[in-house]
Amino acid sequence: MSAAQTGTLHIPKVRKKDMRAIQISFLHMLKFMKKDMMLLAAGLSPLLMGAAIRLGIPAIDKALRSFTGLSQILGPYYSLFDIFYSAITPSMFCFVAAMVMLEERDDHIDRYLFVTDLGKRGYYISRIVIPALVAFVISAVLLPIFRLAVSSFAMILFLSFSGTLQGIIIALLVVNISSNKLEGMALTKCASLMMLGAMGPYFIERPSSHILFFMPSYWTGLVITEGRAIYVLPTVLVSVIWIVILSCGKFRRYT
Amino acid sequence: MIQVNNLTFSYSKKPFIEGLSFEVKAGEIFGFLGPSGAGKSTVQKILLGMLPNYEGSAVVGSVECKKHGSNFYQNIGVDFEYSTMYEKLSARENLEFFSSLYRLRHRSIDELLMAVGLENDADKRVADFSKGMKSRLNFIKALVHDPKLLFLDEPTSGLDPTNSRLMKDMILEEKRRGKTILLTTHNMQDATELCDRVAFIVGGKLFALDSPHNLIMSKGAAKVTYTWIENGEQSASCDLTEMAGDKKLRNLIAENRLQSIHSSEPTLNDIFMEITGKTLV
Repeated sequence: MSAAQTGTLHIPKVRKKDMRAIQISFLHMLKFMKKDMMLLAAGLSPLLMGAAIRLGIPAIDKALRSFTGLSQILGPYYSLFDIFYSAITPSMFCFVAAMVMLEERDDHIDRYLFVTDLGKRGYYISRIVIPALVAFVISAVLLPIFRLAVSSFAMILFLSFSGTLQGIIIALLVVNISSNKLEGMALTKCASLMMLGAMGPYFIERPSSHILFFMPSYWTGLVITEGRAIYVLPTVLVSVIWIVILSCGKFRRYT
Repeated sequence: MIQVNNLTFSYSKKPFIEGLSFEVKAGEIFGFLGPSGAGKSTVQKILLGMLPNYEGSAVVGSVECKKHGSNFYQNIGVDFEYSTMYEKLSARENLEFFSSLYRLRHRSIDELLMAVGLENDADKRVADFSKGMKSRLNFIKALVHDPKLLFLDEPTSGLDPTNSRLMKDMILEEKRRGKTILLTTHNMQDATELCDRVAFIVGGKLFALDSPHNLIMSKGAAKVTYTWIENGEQSASCDLTEMAGDKKLRNLIAENRLQSIHSSEPTLNDIFMEITGKTLV
């Protein structure tokens, strides 16, 4: 028997009726979040950040324009703020989920949950998939309220979707690399740099900007700046590659 | 309840568990004894379906562990050696959450808390519990869904004598309720007291499997040690079966000069050392 064989993750299939335990586990995570002020603040931060962007950026732009006399300063980058905001909301939710997972790992609770009716797959669904789905819905609801430039329904859905994929990548990076909650918080800051790829199409000439090809947010930026739907494909593809690599047994510390 | 046949498992190219075979009957307490790194936890993980890449067969209930479905854990309760509780939640909140994950049968949380003397601490945060309290809470967590099979890993570790007695009585009570219990321990006294049968495992191999009594009686003869006064206190010993042939002892009895006499059986630890060449403690 090879090491590769033994390192493979075994996850039994989840049946429909097992969704009950998954639902309970997810709701428990929300209850747990309420008892932790840091996690609660992180969960509520998209509302505050949305308000700050929606009210603050145009005001700053107006002030800068009247001060400098220039006709355009921040205006051309309003869509970039929308991209950032669409990624921040899911990232915060996935950060909360990652922190809960790290705390459960620190306290050996994850291993216990694996041997309950929830099971290993159910645990991952309740801690990564469902928070990501909720984050997607919340992002799709908040983005139209706090957006600065993006207006089409399709674009809002796309930004929410790509932001959610980034949130999942950040959560997986954090739980894979960190060995405890403290490391996780530090690593979240580094992992969040993944969002900066969106700046590439705005500030770097093509083809030099393609150096950022490995960042999903770079392709998201291209979708917005170029207005071409073809870039949706690499956005999804690069994200999926990240998720698959971080989910496979070889790179997974979280087993 | 558990059938393991020719079980082999490896974390690397070198086999870690090699050709292990044993059976645990329904309703018995089966002890797994071995030093750290012997493979006890690995066997437990395999039986819990957490390590599916083994060779041979490991059947729990009627389910091959590597092919288990989602109902597999409905009848299994696990008490890990370490605490597996949400420290920020109370004992009751923890038990209610873990109990709610199961679809069938739930035992009364209040009764379980009372059984381990934690009824007055039910609403206290687990973070404020002592190690012994956490151990007791961990144990009853494994019982909330009234499973048929219990995996207990060092259940008396870190407990004072009173709570250790309480825990052992609870384990025996669960046996009386019909549960099958697989106990992993270093504590030979616990194993002797609780287990119907024990398996000695070292280096991933099974060295012996029998009841503690049979192991003790088959491998080691009881000794008789006696003392008398002759230029100070003197002592000598002989095998229990050879007492009649011990001239000195016969003379001392005839002369009524014996100061003391007692017999001593070898302990399970002595037998473990004799069979495996290793010590547990």
